[in-house]
Order: sequence, then structure tokens, then C-alpha cells
Amino acid sequence: MDDRIIEFIRGLRAAGVRVSVAESADALRAVEALGILDKALFRESLRTTLVKDVADFAAFDNLFPLYFGSGGPPLQNAMEELSPDEQQMLKAALAALSGRLQQLLQWLTSGQGPTKEELEEMARRAGAQLANNPQDAYWVTRRMLRQMGFAHLEEMLQELTQRLREMGMSQPAMEQLMGVIEANREALAEQVAQQVGWRIAQDRAERPDDLHGSDLMHKAFETLTESEANVLRTEVQRLVSQLRSRAALRQKRGRTGRLDSKSTIRASQRYGGVPFEVKYKKRKLKPRLVLICDVSTSMRPVAEFLLRLVYELHDQVAHARSFAFINDMHEISPAMSTGRNAVEAVDNVLRDHPAGYYNTDLGHSLHTFFAHWLDSVSRRTTVIVLGDGRNNYNAPRLDLVRELQKRARRLIWLTPEHREQWGTGDSDMLEYAPVCDKVYQVRNLAQLSAAVDRLLAGG
Amino acid sequence: MFKDITDVRQRLGRQQYIASEEIATVIYLAQSLCKPILAEGPAGVGKTELAKAWASSLGRPLVRLQCYEGLDESKALYEWEYAKQMLYTQLLRDTLQETLKGANSLSEAATRLAQEDDVFFSEYFLLPRPLLKALMSDQPVLLLIDEIDRADVEFEAFLLEVLSDFQVSVPELGTIKARHEPMVLLTSNNTRELSEALKRRCLYLYINYPNLNAELEIVRLKVPDLNPNLARQAVEVVQQLRNMDLRKVPSVSETLDWARALVALNAKAIDEETLRHTLTVLLKYEADVQKARRMIGSGGNGGGRRPPTGGPGGGYGRPNN
Repeated sequence: MDDRIIEFIRGLRAAGVRVSVAESADALRAVEALGILDKALFRESLRTTLVKDVADFAAFDNLFPLYFGSGGPPLQNAMEELSPDEQQMLKAALAALSGRLQQLLQWLTSGQGPTKEELEEMARRAGAQLANNPQDAYWVTRRMLRQMGFAHLEEMLQELTQRLREMGMSQPAMEQLMGVIEANREALAEQVAQQVGWRIAQDRAERPDDLHGSDLMHKAFETLTESEANVLRTEVQRLVSQLRSRAALRQKRGRTGRLDSKSTIRASQRYGGVPFEVKYKKRKLKPRLVLICDVSTSMRPVAEFLLRLVYELHDQVAHARSFAFINDMHEISPAMSTGRNAVEAVDNVLRDHPAGYYNTDLGHSLHTFFAHWLDSVSRRTTVIVLGDGRNNYNAPRLDLVRELQKRARRLIWLTPEHREQWGTGDSDMLEYAPVCDKVYQVRNLAQLSAAVDRLLAGG
Repeated sequence: MFKDITDVRQRLGRQQYIASEEIATVIYLAQSLCKPILAEGPAGVGKTELAKAWASSLGRPLVRLQCYEGLDESKALYEWEYAKQMLYTQLLRDTLQETLKGANSLSEAATRLAQEDDVFFSEYFLLPRPLLKALMSDQPVLLLIDEIDRADVEFEAFLLEVLSDFQVSVPELGTIKARHEPMVLLTSNNTRELSEALKRRCLYLYINYPNLNAELEIVRLKVPDLNPNLARQAVEVVQQLRNMDLRKVPSVSETLDWARALVALNAKAIDEETLRHTLTVLLKYEADVQKARRMIGSGGNGGGRRPPTGGPGGGYGRPNN
């Protein structure tokens, strides 16, 4: 049993659940304490010790029946219910049928399904080892059932009935027989599905991970495939906790400001005027951010990851408002702050724009920003513009950018392009760059997280 | 101590807490593996209530540590009572003079004083905060660390030592080990991701909103004065509201408040009139209230399935006269 649990844990890990060695040991101890007789309790004791995130419950629920299911419902023996005469008839009829589906009919009538090894072999022939994610299970199962002859089963059964009727089997006995065969057929299909699911999960656990978040950190955003982006999205979680503890430590060490003489004297009254407790003025170190993101198609992945990082770090940021633009500025903070994820927010903004043709225009967008949301920028705000500075030859409105820089504490520009690409084609980057306090190049997640880290450090 | 899982359920039930199979299992495991529980779930599903019921069903005192941003070790663990130390020093001045009398040199006086050092840094002047209180208690306690997600990351790291070994270091006194290992329940509202290390040390329990029957059972237990028909209707409305896209969906505690409000107002049925007066007990945003009124006014086909109309005279969503 322990081996099976350990296999299950490997399956969980392959499905992306983080399970530590200590947690595996806890799981074994929990199972020891509660036993394995009660399936519900067993399941509960594994889940509470192994899965520490609601989001991973689904993976657990998918895998559990594959590893600890009975392998599907058992088949019934159709012969038992029949009289010796009728049994003879059935045997004769089966023998008379052509050989192709004999094996399948044998399984369905005898109550002796295929053995584990036979199932394994059939799954291999159906290509289970080529499938590498659980969604493929459905197709492999279909293929396997077809290979077993399920597609022609209906005709075969009709032929079988025909023959049995000719041999003179009674109507109730026939109905009884067909009922059992029908039940067996469903049970067998279920067994096959479980076998395939288990095989795929098992293969996945044994295959070394080909996608590693840490390698992808250095891959440029625009070259990411969808599955790689998904890996990175989970990587963001870990990145965030790193950034957060760095930022929190900085806050703590940097918090002590100048001596606060007033409250020190007040506190000293408790101790007869001896200044036991020395009070300091607290410095407010958390940045207030305004994010202005270009969400045109080329910039979208960068924007998504930036928004993700910033909103996951919301407890290290005093205040954040975010705006998105393509040809006009939109505020997206409400969508972001209600706990919905960054992708959805960005998606919503994109949906609002007419599909197909986008005309990136920062100048006009800034004009809108100045008209509606200028109050969001104060002396303490750090303004971050994320964009490639490609304006489609529209007016760059440097005056507005300059004004923004003057109002804000700092104006920081994040661009995915190399310095060499600036100023080529419709890029106005060379003009924008000198106006900004700082320009960071963010081509990949590593650079982006470094930039966010420096942002939180106020540098 | 609980004998088995059924025992857990029964004894929690006697404390007016209806525990699901899942909750009972995790509590039993926490006891037999000596591990803390991390309970997550939306606000107001009874996580704190669980701790209270757990403590009283075992007859243990409950020590509660409420977390908030800026909570640090000194507030959670201990403080020195400087004022008391000062006072003692003042009052003991004469005795001190006695001790120091006859010292030939300054260093001899200092040595003598150093021998008495312990008096000034002893448990007399230690003001235990919840964590230390839980560790030093003479009888086994239940420690509730509420809303750990509000505390800072460093505090979480500090908790690790306490939770894994049940001991803490006080620089002046050395390491204090728990006299009895306390049972620990941490709660989190999921406002931020907790660290892997903390999760690893805990059993995980996710408490979600109860389904219709479970919630009805809770309402019947906690607000027995409410007419059963009305209670069913009320719970159906709440369940339906949870399916809607609201800024803040009503929690179990709000359902109970609403049920009490219905009793207080002596409501006969949940009609438009009653809803108009009491919906604000359930929903805390004006936009949500508007949305709910529209949905209920239109006969409930806005956000989810339409609840069956209740018993006689209980036509839900329309006046009953």
C-alpha cells in the first residue's frame, strides 16, 4: 500500500502539486492512524496532508480514483443465471460466430474480464505511452475501445440473439443474458478508462520535466508558447514570495527614521522620566504606483506578467492604479482589485477594442489620461510606463510625458526592445528615454522581476 | 482527547458546531499526529467558531492571537514590564544597599550585584503575550492564530519555530519549551499566498460555504425561533445570492444575522416588503443590494436556478396577500 501511495505522490507532483518529503511522511503517518478501510477517511487523510492549496484540489480529485479506485466495477458472469441447456446453447452460438470479436464476447459473457497485463498491453497498442497529458485520456480510451471491437459489438450482439433464438432459447433468458452483457459492457469500458488514466498519470510521473520555470525565466516574452506561459504563471507565485520577503526585510530595516523626540519624552513618563523606550519617526517606504501599460498584441504578454507581479505584491505597495492603452487610455484598476486575475483584466480591455486593427497611440492616450485621471499622480507617486514606444507615427506628445515626470516622484519606463532598436521605424523611444528618470529593458521574466524589485526598493 | 472521528463530530455538535466529515477527520488527525491545522476559506464560514467549539469540547482554554499588519514578536510573544522593574528597583533600594555594604571596591560591588542579576530579569517581569501564554500554561490549551495572512512575512517565519518544536527563545531567559504541546489552529482568508514552509508544517483544511441542507441545519440550530418554512426560504435566497456575481457574497454569519432579524421583525414570509427592510443585513454594498433586488423582482431567473416556492403562504418573491 505504501508503494501505491508513493506512486500517487509522484503522480501529484507530475500534475504540478508541490509535495515535500516531510509531507509524504505525514501522509503515511496519517494513513497509519486512520487505516485504509474507510475509503472516504483514507482520501481525506491523504488530501489534508498532501495538498495545501485549494487550487490543487482538482488535480487530487482527478488522480485519486486512478490510483486507489478498484480499477472499475467487476464484470458479472452471464452463465451463472442460465440453465445447463441454455449454457450449452450460448457456448455453441459463441463458437459459431466469426472469430474477430470472440475475445470481447468471451469477456462480456464469462464475467472474466481482461487481466491487468492484457489491459496494459492493449493500452500500449492504443498509444497511451504517447499521450502526455490527462486531457488525452479520453481519446486513448476511445481508440482502445475501438480496437477491442466495441464499434461492431452492436451487430455482433444482434447476430448472437438471432442465433440463440434459432436454437430455441426462451425470451426471458435472452433478456436476462442481454441485460448482463449490457452491464458488463459498461463496466469494461469503465475499467479501460481507469487503466488509461492511470497509465498516463504514471508515465507523466516518470518522465522528467521538460519545462522548467527557471529556464523559461530567461526566455523572451514574445517567443513563449502558451504552455510555457502557463508554467511561468505558476513560477510568478514563487517569484512573488521571494520579492515579497526581500521587500519586507527592506521595509523593516529601513523603517527606523529620525528620532521622534516628542513621543520619546511621552513614553519616558512611564519610567519616571528615564527614556527607556526610544521612539523613531516611521518612514513610509511603500511605493505608490501608477501603471500605464501598452496592451497591443505585441506587448500583451509583458503587460500581463507586469500586472500579475504588481498585484500579487499588493501588500508591499501602498497604492496602485493601473491603466491600459492601445489607441486610448482605460482604467483597469477596478477589474484588477476585485481579486480577478491579471489575464482576465487584460482580456477585458482587449475585448473592448475593435479586433484586428490596432493603432497604438500613446500621445492621445496620455491626453485622455491628463483629462480624467491626473489626480492619481502626486508628488509621492511612481509612474511606470510599459510600452515599446512605437507610436505609429502619431504625435509622441513629449510635453505631456515631461509634465508627468515633473508631477510624479519618478517616471520609469519599461520597454522590451534593445537600445539598438530604439528610433528605428516608428519608434519614439529615443525621444522618450531622456525624459524618464530610468528606463529598464524587460525582455523576459528575469529582467521584469529585477525591475520590479528595484521599483519596490525605490531605486 | 477524542476517541474517534464520530466522537469528534458528536462533541463538536454538543458545542453547537456542525462539523462535516472532512472537518472532523482533519481535527482527529491533528490530534493523533500532533500537527497544527491551517484552515482556509472565505470570510465568515466559521473558522474562528471552529476553534472555539474545538476548545470547549475538549475543555481546554482558548488562547487567541489576532494577526494584523505590523504584528511583531514582542506583541505576540512577550514584553518586559519596565515599569514594574523600575518600581521594584526603587523599593528594593534599601536591601540593595545592604547587599552592597562593606564592598571594598567598585568591582566587588559590581560582582555582588551581578549575582543578584537574575532577580531583575526573571519571569516576574515577563508579560506573556498569547504565544508565550500558550506555551507556559499549566494546562494544555488550544491556540488560535487568527487571520495569519494579515501578518507580515517575517512573522510567519518566526512562527515556524514555535509551530514545529513548540519552543521559543527569549534572549534574557533562554529557551522556553512548552509544558504541554498546545493544539494549534491557524486561519487564513486567503488574501495572500502563505509560505510553503508554513503550509508544509500544517494539515490543510479548506472550509467552503455549506450547501443548502447543511446551512439550513446551522440556521435551525442557532436560531431555533425561526419558523422552519421561513428558514428554508431564507437559506434558499442566500444560496441563490452566492451564485450571483456580487462584490461580496453573504457569509454564514450574515445568514444567521438575517435569520435573527427575521425573528425580531416577526416576519411571516420573505416577501418584497421584508426583503426591502432586511436585505442590507446580508449585502454590504449598495450595488449588490440593487442587483439582488432586480434579480429577485424578476422572479429569480437572473443569477441561478429559481428556488421552489415554499410552503403555504410562503410565496417567495411576491406579496402573500
